[in-house]
Amino acid sequence: MKKKSISECERDQFNKLIKLRLPNAFKTVGLIIAVLAFLSMFGRKLLIEGDAELYKSISRQALLIGLLLMSISKDKIEDEMTYSLRMQSYGFAFILGVLYAMMMPYVDYGVSNALKPEGETLKNLGDFQILIFMLMIQLMFYHTSKRIG
Amino acid sequence: MQNKIKIERAILDLTQDDLAKKIGVSRQTINSIEANRYVPSTVLALKLSEVFNKSVNEFFSLSEED
Repeated sequence: MKKKSISECERDQFNKLIKLRLPNAFKTVGLIIAVLAFLSMFGRKLLIEGDAELYKSISRQALLIGLLLMSISKDKIEDEMTYSLRMQSYGFAFILGVLYAMMMPYVDYGVSNALKPEGETLKNLGDFQILIFMLMIQLMFYHTSKRIG
Repeated sequence: MQNKIKIERAILDLTQDDLAKKIGVSRQTINSIEANRYVPSTVLALKLSEVFNKSVNEFFSLSEED
């Protein structure tokens, strides 16, 4: 029997990791989690009195988990084109995410200072804002490119 | 890259869905290949070759842009 070299094993493991996808059912699970988390963000002000930071944090994490599950779940029919489109969408989302993280603080600063003289100070975006932006761009780009072929 | 998949499919009287099922891809993938929006891998080209019973060169050809 032919033995695999260490580099071949490493390559196989690496390829498995890159191609790791959850079953299609997780797409629905992710959608349900994301919708519930999104709705809970609106309901927070009505339902929770006093300190709602923990509730807000859980809602945000749930929304990220929901979108991530949708992002890494397989389609009903997974083939080489869907794989290629998915990889393109991750690349596109990454580039836009970096640009967004670099530019948005200045946009926020400029707008807030243009509207009122004592506007906000320059501050970086939070991790939630960047991650949600990247996940949404990835999902939109992927589904749009799949629809238009 | 140009292709004659639509013609080959018509010869065998196959719909896009039929062909997609035969080679294990989605109907959108066949549609994109036929419209030259997606260039398939060698593996997929060889699967098409098996279905059409023709060599890959007979239904895929390079265009001037390639």
